[in-house]
Amino acid sequence: MTQKEIFLGNGAIALGLLEAGCQVVTSYPGTPSSEILPEVVRLIKSAGLNTYVEWSTNEKVAFDNAFAAAVSGKRAACCMKQVGLNVAADSLMSAAYIGNMGGFVIISCDDPGPHSSQTEQDTRLMARFAKVPVLDPSSPEEARQMVAVAFDLSEEFQVPVILRPAIRVCHARESLTWGGLKNNEQKASFERNPGRWAATPRFRFILHGELNGKLKEIGRRFEKLDPFNFHDLKPGEKYPLGILAGGVPYSVVRDILSDEDRKDIPVLKMCAPHPFPEGLAKEFMSACEKVLVIEETDTVIEYFLRDSEKVLGRFSDHVPSEGELVPEVVYGLINKTLEGLQMKGLSSDGRQSAVELVKGLELPIRKPTLCPGCPHRASFFAIRKARPKAIFTSDIGCYTLGINLGGVDTCLDMGAGITMASGFYHSFAQDQVDQPIVATIGDSTFYHSGTAGLLNAVYNDSRFILVILDNQTTAMTGMQPTPGLGIRADGTKGKMIPLERVVAGCGVDFIEVVDPYDLEAMNKLIKKAVEYTNDPAGGVAVIIARHPCVIAYREEAIPQKKKVVVTEDCVECNFCHDRFECPALYKDTDLGRTAVDQTLCAQCGVCLDICPKGAIIEA
Amino acid sequence: MENINFVLSGLGGQGILFMTKLLARSAVDKGLKILVAETHGMAQRGGSVVSHLRVGGVKGSLVRAGSAHILLALEENEAYRNIPFLAKGGKLYANAPTTSFPREEVRPYLEKIGVECHSIQASDIAAGLAAPMSTNLALLGFFSAFQEGPISYDELKETITQVSPDRLREINLKVFDKGFEWGAV
Repeated sequence: MTQKEIFLGNGAIALGLLEAGCQVVTSYPGTPSSEILPEVVRLIKSAGLNTYVEWSTNEKVAFDNAFAAAVSGKRAACCMKQVGLNVAADSLMSAAYIGNMGGFVIISCDDPGPHSSQTEQDTRLMARFAKVPVLDPSSPEEARQMVAVAFDLSEEFQVPVILRPAIRVCHARESLTWGGLKNNEQKASFERNPGRWAATPRFRFILHGELNGKLKEIGRRFEKLDPFNFHDLKPGEKYPLGILAGGVPYSVVRDILSDEDRKDIPVLKMCAPHPFPEGLAKEFMSACEKVLVIEETDTVIEYFLRDSEKVLGRFSDHVPSEGELVPEVVYGLINKTLEGLQMKGLSSDGRQSAVELVKGLELPIRKPTLCPGCPHRASFFAIRKARPKAIFTSDIGCYTLGINLGGVDTCLDMGAGITMASGFYHSFAQDQVDQPIVATIGDSTFYHSGTAGLLNAVYNDSRFILVILDNQTTAMTGMQPTPGLGIRADGTKGKMIPLERVVAGCGVDFIEVVDPYDLEAMNKLIKKAVEYTNDPAGGVAVIIARHPCVIAYREEAIPQKKKVVVTEDCVECNFCHDRFECPALYKDTDLGRTAVDQTLCAQCGVCLDICPKGAIIEA
Repeated sequence: MENINFVLSGLGGQGILFMTKLLARSAVDKGLKILVAETHGMAQRGGSVVSHLRVGGVKGSLVRAGSAHILLALEENEAYRNIPFLAKGGKLYANAPTTSFPREEVRPYLEKIGVECHSIQASDIAAGLAAPMSTNLALLGFFSAFQEGPISYDELKETITQVSPDRLREINLKVFDKGFEWGAV
């Protein structure tokens, strides 16, 4: 029985995993990868499969768990965003040498732009670095097909294979036909072989040689990996310009050449770029006088071509080295290249005049903000009020938006809210400077990579206040459960591990829990924590600011709704806008004062305690 | 059939994704191919949100600037922000005051490239029916009255009936129809 359904790209990947008989899927959420695991859960429930799924505590944990399943002979996959693969990099480098038994596929989703990430790094480079094959889909349907190819390849050569969909694949939607998912009956088994599974450096040298041999063989395979790698050269014909493109930019290039009816420009599609298909590339290079390389986001193919005379790309400034290669950018760069080669150009200017026109309108910049009613807003307000001179180290999550309230000074990577706090502390303490520091981190991020940093800070006698913003979910990425809830990826019950116990286990002696909606209580608690961090016998003080996310817990988050209004006492001092920044509080130009947008207002009532003039009152 | 490109714009939380889903599903139900590009993650927290819908045999999910046949905007400034996407002869439907839209500065450009503009106070209509979160449906109903693009009023209505949760079906259809009435006069 088959059915037609519109799938999110990440859903297409989930479908590909189950069609390929993947028995274990692990993940840590992160845009643009977050929907893969929930889609797997949805499909295994609808098809009654026994696939094991888990939200792992971080990407390295996800990697290792799936890898072990593959060592036991099962088909396994781990899913993460591109910077998540950094967290799992230690495992990846080693796993490449050791290899696997059952197919092992790593799905690492890239974010050219970047839209929701710290970097625009290119997972294909990570694949090259680790010496593993990588597939780079140009559409959801292709991503689905590639999963099957990745598993076969991984199993045949006993090597991990990376699928790197970019955001435009993950968050595209396409209609797919599917049906008839079945359980894979492969059973787990483990055969002792310390020379491989626990290889020492002497064996590692041998494994490295074997890996290099596998890559040579797979590279030859990639030369004929139609429809992922192919060109449309006519035999014997020579061309002034050819385009080499992979992944999402391949789709963009195809659409442009087809819209413009440009049959005079051949294309080499390279969606399996590593190990590099040398022969295929040579064929294309020898038929074209110049080759324009359009790839996201780095210079993987361009490096492998090793020809600075013939190749046009990022090194020759034909392609921008940062930002997403959206269609108008690709259109513009092809046009410029054609012009430079004195070839016939494309048909229009990409509406450059309209871009200038819109710039001139000075439209309001819509920066993302914390939601109305968000408990983090209350926390940041209280923190800033109690410790105005502190350095605010923070972390990755919705609460990074605390930057709008002046409550976030640093954001490096997962867990750095804590580690940068201890780093700042020792830097100032060395100079006998008493610098207040308040660190913030979310609950999910704390479970992900907070403990090692906190242990270290306590052990080395750092002094700062850590506020764990516990909204009982992983909010930014779409409300995935955390170990603090004890709900697992498939909705079944897991062991609940309260933050308090983990924090105590890190050696912290000051642990207090507060509801941040109660600004007064939070304020008092921060002052108490200050005393503790200043006390010679004290240490790191941890405050758990616990209040459920208003999106994840729509009904329970605000039990006592309070309708608020702004009175004539408002003097437009901007304090509430600068320090509280609630989207429901806006400047009403007709009234000449701040007003409440009752449609947006969540009626949390926290703003009742913030106005210096007392102009925000309950209606 | 010629490919048709939609751009849908608004602010996080206004229901851009739902509106896109209704159009995409209607197209697929009548046997057309589609590709959608969505905004997820941080931008959904109140930022500018855009989604692209391409109907026809295309490969890439993003609409190229200058090639959108239809721009649907749930907020006036988000309509202006996305003007560069409009193709020659494109159509713009916006949730904006009918008397002043579009603002003076953009008129010469839109006239030059032959863009037709239609606006409706969709927020007011939705609020009037005690469904302020359904502004998207009022605009979609309004748009459907102009019979532009490959998807009809009836097809959209059928999709809304199918995909709406039970508790919202009736009000969704009511807001959609009210929008349609505004467009049909």
